[in-house]
Formats: sequence, structure tokens, C-alpha cells
Amino acid sequence: MNIKTALSTKENVDEMVSDIAGQLEFFDAEMVLFFASSVYDPQSVSKKMQDSFPMARVLGCTTAGEIGCGKMLDGSAVAMAFTGQAVKDAKIEVVEDPRDEKAIRAAFASFESYFKVPMSEMDPSKYVGIILVDGLSGAEEGLMELIGDLTNVTFIGGSAGDDLKFSATHLYANGKSYKNGVILALLQPGVEFTFIKTQSFRNLDKTLEVTKANEEKREVLEFNGKPAAVAYAEAIGTTVEEAPKHFMHNPVGLVIEDEPYVRSPQQFKGDSMVFYCGVMEGMELSLLESTDIIGDTKKAIARAREEMGGLSAIVNFNCILRTLELKQKNLTKEYGELFSGVQAIGFSTYGEQYIGHINQTATMLAFK
Amino acid sequence: MAGKIRQMIDSIINQRAKDNPMLERVIKTKLILKGINPAKFTLQSDDDPVVIGKLEKMMQELK
Repeated sequence: MNIKTALSTKENVDEMVSDIAGQLEFFDAEMVLFFASSVYDPQSVSKKMQDSFPMARVLGCTTAGEIGCGKMLDGSAVAMAFTGQAVKDAKIEVVEDPRDEKAIRAAFASFESYFKVPMSEMDPSKYVGIILVDGLSGAEEGLMELIGDLTNVTFIGGSAGDDLKFSATHLYANGKSYKNGVILALLQPGVEFTFIKTQSFRNLDKTLEVTKANEEKREVLEFNGKPAAVAYAEAIGTTVEEAPKHFMHNPVGLVIEDEPYVRSPQQFKGDSMVFYCGVMEGMELSLLESTDIIGDTKKAIARAREEMGGLSAIVNFNCILRTLELKQKNLTKEYGELFSGVQAIGFSTYGEQYIGHINQTATMLAFK
Repeated sequence: MAGKIRQMIDSIINQRAKDNPMLERVIKTKLILKGINPAKFTLQSDDDPVVIGKLEKMMQELK
């Protein structure tokens, strides 16, 4: 076994770290990725995890719920350890301001220097990036756009959570804790890997074109030349007053080759509409309707397994809005069980990253 | 003037995807997420300076 997971529900940070370390004892970890509830003191959890795996590269972040060992949990911690066979090499860079383009470029220069390959030439079938970003930064779109311009290597990940307190999220790397930053980890896996992007929506074939937006604030002022709130409510077939009740069930999406890149509404602000994700003038968004998260996720995992001819581990960045829907429908047990046959960890995120920044989606890194 | 955007899009896709269909799809997706839908631009499309600016930045990053 080259990838092994651990889960702890101990409430005390020392006990939790010791529990995780105990489960991974005698496992020759080259890298440890962990996701921990914000109930654990962020100042000490990173150091204690690093101290427990002194020979490994250790990274992680706070969550809005955890996934591990076939369960969906709150107030716990999950970890995934990789041997040198699973991850031949890795370089972790921390950028303390995700809007700092110069610092992102410096991180990429560091990757180039470490792996001795220009990022623009790096083979995306041999390298993969993990991105963990402050979930309250609102900086994900620009960050993903820049990363996408700099390399063909896929960076997949999630925006850190804080158990729905929306107060502060934390990133962990090399024994330190960071706020308002981004962790970029470039991995050279020793096993085959692929990506899973799954969201459970069908396209209602109603187009809402962004005709006026405040892109910086993720705010749409007008759809189809009408006040955004009015146009959205009309598309749903309801009133502006009732429309917010449909936000979770009916988000909108940029549909590319039948694949929606979901933009979830957050609130009406007067006649305008604020989203959890970037929207640009000229974008043609489709109204979506939620379907079956369990069934769709199961199929997506099966497809990945078939594509690679096997699947041993998954890192799941699962949108908090999906988690809330699963909780509302009493389906968290069923969702957790989808991952029981493999080594899997994940967390409920404040945003998902895969090619760009998206909402109401699960982005997963899967290993053969 | 017209058609510059289409030419730039084709150049970016060719340069980056190097005939790899999977990469071609990813690059098209990146463009659409930037607000530039390749399907909407032909050799007759007007040279919108905002779109050209975004594409120039993308080309610059590759060098």
C-alpha cells in the first residue's frame, strides 16, 4: 500500500495528532496531506502534525466538514500519507497573499528550479498541482487564471473552510499556519492519476446572459438587459421575493461541451445578484436544476476507475453547498460510503478549483 | 480591422495544445472562463481591444 488514510474524532489537538500519527505508524510517509476542523487550534495543529511526521512534507487546511474512512464528519481531522512510490517528489510553496502575482510567479520559478523543467513545458501527465487557498479571500478566480496561463499542469484543490463561521480559514504547511494565503504543492506522482469533476445538475436550457456586471465583486447587475434579480426570478418562474429559496436548487452555470462550471448565487443585493464565484460581462449562463448527488458521484468515480483500470485513493474537494444539501436530505452516510472502498479523504470547501474556480462541485484527484 | 482575435485564439491553442485534443479542450475551457468563447470569434469578428489585451497577456505568459 502506497497511500494510507487516517481519521480522528478526538477533540483535543494533542490527542487528535497522536491518534492520526498512531494510525500511520510504520508507514513510510514522504508527504502527508491533512484536513482538520477549525475546532483545533490553528496555531498549534500545523506544528504538531509536522512534528509527528518529521521526515515528510506536511500540508493541509481547515474545513467546513471532513470526509474520511467512508464517513462524512464534522469536528474531526483526516489525513492521507503518501510513500515515495506514490509521490516520487513534491515541492510546497506558500504565498501569503493570493492576489500577489509577483509572489505566485516566484513560487512557479521555485518549482522550475526544483524540478529543472520550465512550467510552460512541464508534462501534465507526469505532474499535478494541489492548491489550498484561503476560503474567505475571494481571490480564487484571478489566481486560477494566472496559474492556467503559466502552465498546462492541472492544479486541483479547494478553498479552506471554517465550519460555516465565515470568520477565518487557515492553511498549514511545513509546521506553520497561514491566514489569507495560498499553498501550492507541485507533485510528481509515481502512480497514474486522473481528475474527477462532478456536479449534479441538469441544464434547463434557459440562458441568462450577463449584460452588466461588477466583476470584482462577483456581482451581476443585469441579465438579458433586465435587473439580475428580476431576470433570474422570471427564468425560475417565481417572484423576486421567493427566488432566493431556489438558489441552492437552481444555480447557474457556464456550460462548456455539456459540462457545467457552476456559479452559485449567494444573495440578492437590491436588484443585483451576488455569486460565490466570478461572473463576467458577455458570459452566457444556463439555468440549472439539481439532480442526484449520490448517483452522479457514484458514476463519476466508476468512470475514473474504468479509465485508469483501477483506483486506490481519492482526495475529494467537496463544496459545502453539496454537503448542506446532503445534510438536508439525510444522505451524508450514503455519500461517505461512496468512498469506503478506497483510501479517501476530503473536506467541505468554500470553493473548488479545477481549471478555474467553481461552485457546487466536487473536484477530486484520484490515484490508481 | 477584423479577425485578429480568431488568429490569436488559434495561435494560443496551437502553441499550447501541440495537437493534444485533451489539452485543446482544457485551453478552450480556460478561455471561456476568462470570458472569451472561441466559438464566437471568426476571421470577420471585430478587433475588440479588451479581448485582444487578455489574449496578449496569455501569450506573453507562455514566453
